[in-house]
Amino acid sequence: MFGRSTALVALLIASGAAINVAPQAPSSAAAVTAPAVAPRSPRNASYAITARLDPASRTISGNEIVTWRNTSNIAADALRFHLYYNAWRNTASTWMRERRLSGRAPEKEYEPSDWGWIDVTNIRVIGVDGSAGDLTSQLRFIAPDDGNTADRTVAEVPLTRAIGPGETVNVQIAWSAHVPRTFARTGAVGNFFFIAQWFPKIGVLENSGWNCHQFHVSTEFFADFGIYDVRLTVPRGWIVGATGVERDRRDEADGTTTHHYYQEDVHDFAWTTSPDLVERRATFEHPSLPRADLRLLLQKEHVGQAERHFEAARAALKYYGEWFGPYPYGHLTIVDPAWQSAADGMEYPTLITAGTSWLQPSHTEDPEDVTVHEAGHQFWYGIVATNEFENAWMDEGINTFATARVMQERFAPTYTLKRYFGGFIPYRLLDFPRTRERDGDRLGNYRTGAKGDAQSTPSWQYWPGTAGSITYDKTALWLHTLERMLGWDVLQRILSTYFMRFQFKHPKPQDFFDVAGEVSGRDLTWFFDQVYRSSNVFDYGVETLRSETDSVEGFVDKSPPGTTPRVELKQVLYRTQVVVRRYGEGIFPVDVRVVFENKEEVRWHWDGRDRWKMFEVEKPVRAAFAQVDPDRVLLLDVRYTNNSFTLEPQSARAARKWSLAWLIWLQDHLLTYGFFV
Amino acid sequence: MAAAAAFREGIRRVNHAPVVVAGMFAVTLLVSLPLAYALETMIADHLGSSLAAESLATGTNYDWWQEFSAQATGLGTTFLATISGFAAVLNNLSGFLDHAPLAATIIGVTAAWMVLWSFLSGGVIDRFARARRTRSHGFFGACGMHFWRLLRLAAIAWIVYAILFQFVHRWILSDTYSWLTRDLTAERTGFAVRLAGYAIFGALLIACNIVFDYARIRIVVEDRRSAIAAVLAGARFVRRHAAGVLGLYGLNAVAFLVLLVVYALVAPGAPRSGVSMWAALVLGELYIVGRHYLKLLFYASETAFFQGALAHAAYTAAPVPVWPDSPAAEMIANADRTVTS
Repeated sequence: MFGRSTALVALLIASGAAINVAPQAPSSAAAVTAPAVAPRSPRNASYAITARLDPASRTISGNEIVTWRNTSNIAADALRFHLYYNAWRNTASTWMRERRLSGRAPEKEYEPSDWGWIDVTNIRVIGVDGSAGDLTSQLRFIAPDDGNTADRTVAEVPLTRAIGPGETVNVQIAWSAHVPRTFARTGAVGNFFFIAQWFPKIGVLENSGWNCHQFHVSTEFFADFGIYDVRLTVPRGWIVGATGVERDRRDEADGTTTHHYYQEDVHDFAWTTSPDLVERRATFEHPSLPRADLRLLLQKEHVGQAERHFEAARAALKYYGEWFGPYPYGHLTIVDPAWQSAADGMEYPTLITAGTSWLQPSHTEDPEDVTVHEAGHQFWYGIVATNEFENAWMDEGINTFATARVMQERFAPTYTLKRYFGGFIPYRLLDFPRTRERDGDRLGNYRTGAKGDAQSTPSWQYWPGTAGSITYDKTALWLHTLERMLGWDVLQRILSTYFMRFQFKHPKPQDFFDVAGEVSGRDLTWFFDQVYRSSNVFDYGVETLRSETDSVEGFVDKSPPGTTPRVELKQVLYRTQVVVRRYGEGIFPVDVRVVFENKEEVRWHWDGRDRWKMFEVEKPVRAAFAQVDPDRVLLLDVRYTNNSFTLEPQSARAARKWSLAWLIWLQDHLLTYGFFV
Repeated sequence: MAAAAAFREGIRRVNHAPVVVAGMFAVTLLVSLPLAYALETMIADHLGSSLAAESLATGTNYDWWQEFSAQATGLGTTFLATISGFAAVLNNLSGFLDHAPLAATIIGVTAAWMVLWSFLSGGVIDRFARARRTRSHGFFGACGMHFWRLLRLAAIAWIVYAILFQFVHRWILSDTYSWLTRDLTAERTGFAVRLAGYAIFGALLIACNIVFDYARIRIVVEDRRSAIAAVLAGARFVRRHAAGVLGLYGLNAVAFLVLLVVYALVAPGAPRSGVSMWAALVLGELYIVGRHYLKLLFYASETAFFQGALAHAAYTAAPVPVWPDSPAAEMIANADRTVTS
């Protein structure tokens, strides 16, 4: 087993210096080996990185020492690394191929400088005796997911000696990278750089082997926790924001400045730099939650929106903290990315990107929604570190649900916003307030991709065109459904139990389902079978409603032989029949409700299994309307219009009203095109 | 005649032709109504006996709207949340300037309306040029007489506008705009570039529009047969009276902007039910009447400006001695009467 002694650190430094890359390895990697607080996480993948950015050529030259401990129960005879930047090396990468598959057109035509890549120039394993075994020549690219030989996003290097369970290895890697024009929210535009997924990053060794997926277009990342001790050299005067806190900075003789950032118990490191960022600071304080320093790096043209960003971040830390668990890091950096940087709305440990526009009316989606969402990812992704390659819904879906809840608690009402004239001019549709359940167009988006994939399919295997709706929208909708089934108190306890139990770990879907069953005290297997393990679509509806005076045609024995004729009742009885149907494949127990003209109502509970079912009742009053799932528990029902049936339909009135509104639109349209005549 | 005087004269002529305003409004309404009815049927069918209709009848129901949109085809695809209130105006103007694609059904009705409008514009300009009532037989006689000429002019205009929107628009507001803003990181600067793009494209568009406007007027006023010659004559006129032409165009544009601002201030949002629904409809239609008025004011003021700039009667094409005479011939006749009396 390799030790982590001070002597080894010295050896690492010495061996790092031997690699011919600039700058040198950290002058002091002591921070990596002397954590400031008791470990919250396994810290089995720690990095000491030095990197230099040359903005003119958009290149990064880097040098890192990875200290990796095998936490699995199998030995590792090879190491696997992510080289994410190679996803944009050329159009043959898996990422680019999947993007074409999704039907998404390239955002722009690529110029030679737009492409990004990362080349490992040297890799060596540092032995316990300080010897350095150079493995550079043995590095090879593998494609464990799709066998794409042109893909270079995963590299494997065999070890001369296997690393057994519990053992630690130190690997020194030198690399150079070209920063792309932004792809997948990492890259540069103008002099704004947002640098993420930028360094050789070790995969996750599980008991079943390496979990080190290629970079896919519709999924994100997965990594082990560790300590990041990073020195970033950029032109002097440029503002830097990064994961962690800045410990010190040093002006170099060549007109650059090295910024030293440090963070424990995280599983990634991202940073931004630009000479044009404006810095603002604030704090989050709460009677029962840890204090957090908020640092906002925003664009000059958005300075007036600084407080909106802070308020959103505070709201996220408050409500997520109260509902799920405390935010432990004590600081959060919010980056307001540059226009056209395409880096908005992304999460990294203790660092997020928000996103807004120069003209952004209040009470609209951004920047509040995106800030809450990305800050919320500190909990669902950052702390509960699920595998985004395989179970993207576990962070994105849960976080989308929680974001909508915070938005309702803190920022309601918000309105649908449309943008005109090249997207610059905003217009709020005040007649269309956003609702928590709908949260924009969740159901609308889900409806279009509902059958795309079962959610249990590994996320990287989702059809790229509908991956988003299955990951974000479907999960948010079924969590809302679960909330309506169980009540918020129960769901909140489920989520907080799950959070506290699996913070700084890598839970799997079954862990969540087990907690849900345990806390709710109910067997929810059927529910997760429907929403998670299948791509079934839910669609219940009322087929017919009849409410007529009870009359029987044919022959009736009014007075059976031997009985006294009964006195005929004068009361008129209405026989009400309602037929409900299950149009979709999804099965969900629902209520059926009939409301009568005197406001009286009758409810039945239907297990929702049969294709149709008829309910009957006799009342001295006529029915007014019938509903299936009247409380709209099942938010995944893709056609709610057919869930009700009234005997006095208003469709003609509604249709007339809206067609007259549309008439004015059409006339205006004709007159607009009347410009030509 | 100065631009301001022509503008005032245009107002006077339109004000004295309320039947024309009403008639053109009626034409637009009649073209639109069948489609509105078709949409009404679509909405009613989709709602069926659902309770969703109740919320939709009294307010909005965005959930239903999304559901409807998801299954909508043809006309139904244009039924968006942005059709009500001032959003409708922004939607149309932005779509026009950004060359947003239109639904096939809408393209069809727009083309039909434009052909119909071209047919009627002969009568309308004739009416404004004569500055007196022409009665329906005179009006439609002029419509018929000028229709094929104006249709030929419309074909030429269509080619020019198609080039402008298909190629020039893409070149200015897509290719060049993207190239200029490629490394910009400030949205404000990007917006300024976009505005400059709109200004350049708009200037080209307006230049063509003015030439075609005066070509149309010359076809009617001077009884011209050749659409090509009318375009050239229109261009010559614009070149020789550039300041006045542009000034008048500017006055008309300002009037249009004033109407937009007023409607933006008073436009109702999504209609409610009962009286407020009808009030919203009336307000909307008043705005549409206003748009018609301004469209006709363009015709009338430009016609007045052109007539005011005529050097002498011989400048006009030889009138065909059949009824109705061209406004130019009528002008000559009137001039003769003036001389003899």
